[in-house]
Amino acid sequence: MKVNPPDTYWKKDVTLFFGKRFALLIKMLYPMALIVPVAASDIPTQYAAAVIGIVAVMAGTFGAGESLTVDLNDGILMRVALTPLSPRRIVFEILAVNAVLDFIQLLPALLIVYALNPAPLVWILAATVAIFATLLTANCIGIFIANFTSSPADVLLYATAILAPLIYVSGFFRNQNPTGTLAALRDFVPFAYMNDSLKEVFGLSTGAIPLEVFVYPILIAAVLALGVCLTAPRLLSPRF
Amino acid sequence: MIDIRKTPPALEVENVARLYKSSGRGVSGVSFDVQPGEVFGLMGPNGSGKSTLLRVLSTAIVPESGSFRIVGADGVGEKREARTRMGLMVDRPTHYGDLTGWANAYFFARSYGVEEKKAESVLAGLFDYFGLAEYRDDKAKTYSYGMGKKLALIEAMSHGPDLLLLDEPSLGLDYTSQLAYQKKIRELAASGVAILIASNQVDEVEALCDRVAFLHKGRLAALGTPEEFVSTLEGVRRIVATLRNPVEYGTLGGIAGVERVATEGRDLVIHCAERPGLVADVVAGIVGAGGDITDLAVRRPSLEDVYVKLTGEALRDEG
Repeated sequence: MKVNPPDTYWKKDVTLFFGKRFALLIKMLYPMALIVPVAASDIPTQYAAAVIGIVAVMAGTFGAGESLTVDLNDGILMRVALTPLSPRRIVFEILAVNAVLDFIQLLPALLIVYALNPAPLVWILAATVAIFATLLTANCIGIFIANFTSSPADVLLYATAILAPLIYVSGFFRNQNPTGTLAALRDFVPFAYMNDSLKEVFGLSTGAIPLEVFVYPILIAAVLALGVCLTAPRLLSPRF
Repeated sequence: MIDIRKTPPALEVENVARLYKSSGRGVSGVSFDVQPGEVFGLMGPNGSGKSTLLRVLSTAIVPESGSFRIVGADGVGEKREARTRMGLMVDRPTHYGDLTGWANAYFFARSYGVEEKKAESVLAGLFDYFGLAEYRDDKAKTYSYGMGKKLALIEAMSHGPDLLLLDEPSLGLDYTSQLAYQKKIRELAASGVAILIASNQVDEVEALCDRVAFLHKGRLAALGTPEEFVSTLEGVRRIVATLRNPVEYGTLGGIAGVERVATEGRDLVIHCAERPGLVADVVAGIVGAGGDITDLAVRRPSLEDVYVKLTGEALRDEG
């Protein structure tokens, strides 16, 4: 399959991702620079899991949101939107390719984490799936935010406002043993499943069931992706 | 050559209205059509509604009322079909700067559904025609403004549209590229493509367009062929005097028959009615004002005079 010259939106993004060598090097190195020292240290397990989770959440949200707003401001995305391509297809491709590229960025660091912390294969696979679901969710949030602003700086602000409560509910740092409403809400946040599975990888038992981690975050992310794709006509309409 | 009156319109615009609440500007009650093989010019001063109308016709925004059809496809209800039939060049074209010029053009051609082999052969021809072949593998961000415009033209034409919407297409092109662009427009029109050019480059519109519409304050102020417009100025002349030194030319406005005086660089341009002895009076007026004339020309009316007349009338009407 030929990726360059690109004949679809996702191939265009892949070409751009791999086309800038220095930027690519930085993109591949920074997750390792943040995650590997934490994974190799003996800090408490829940904080090691939280750091990886935060890196995944930030990479996904800011990546899609900022690149989208830059393309919107530049006018190029509007030009693409005036081709016969379906707006929903464009947004779906933006979402999917950004999630996959974010995952590729994180993968080397994750492999080192798994190598440093041998864990049952089922938990390694569960954590990997949950991290991808997290990236998909985070990209959904970034794209959703781009519906309301064309300023990359605003993306940071709005993302913080949305992510802070989600991170709290997921139990990255506080709310690690929720009950009642908080426990119920936690079940609807894909970040929580990633957090549980990473804790398991680091050797901390959480009571989570691998099958739930395989199924629920992906289902939730899929519903969010569907919702975000429905915003496509608004997202790709001119801003005045 | 296509007989443009025997085929259904490539673009039908009926009472299109779209006003911006914030500024009150936009377009209102605009109707016209563009036939296959016709080159149609859209002119008007800044804020006349050209950009808004193009946004509507390009399906970027929806009209508040009225309708338009592109080769039969409803521009509101059948956007995808309409977009497939249309080639579009916006006034400030942008590209993916980190992709090559070729990759940008290929991406757009394929987005319009052009098959791989055809896209490659069509694009190779267009890159060669517009003199971009040797720069095709350079990143688009290294292109000059004019090269970017040519790339945008290639992107607009590569899928063989039935209707081309071009916004200020020749602005920024060098002279050779302008000639190439004009030749290509004539070729496309001869092959049946309908072309709408929004431009304030009066020479270009006069040279290329079969019909011209003037927009003013969001309304269609006039519609006709360039010849029809120019014929309405029968008896009007334009005196162009090149001066060695600037002069206070206010007194020229008082000469009987002089309608408007303006400066264009070192030239003094006097729009006036045809009257025996008027040229002598104008020359005497300039000399009397201390002007040293180095060159003098009396020219027949052109679309530029029409533009000046129409916008001037519209301005007077507002007053």
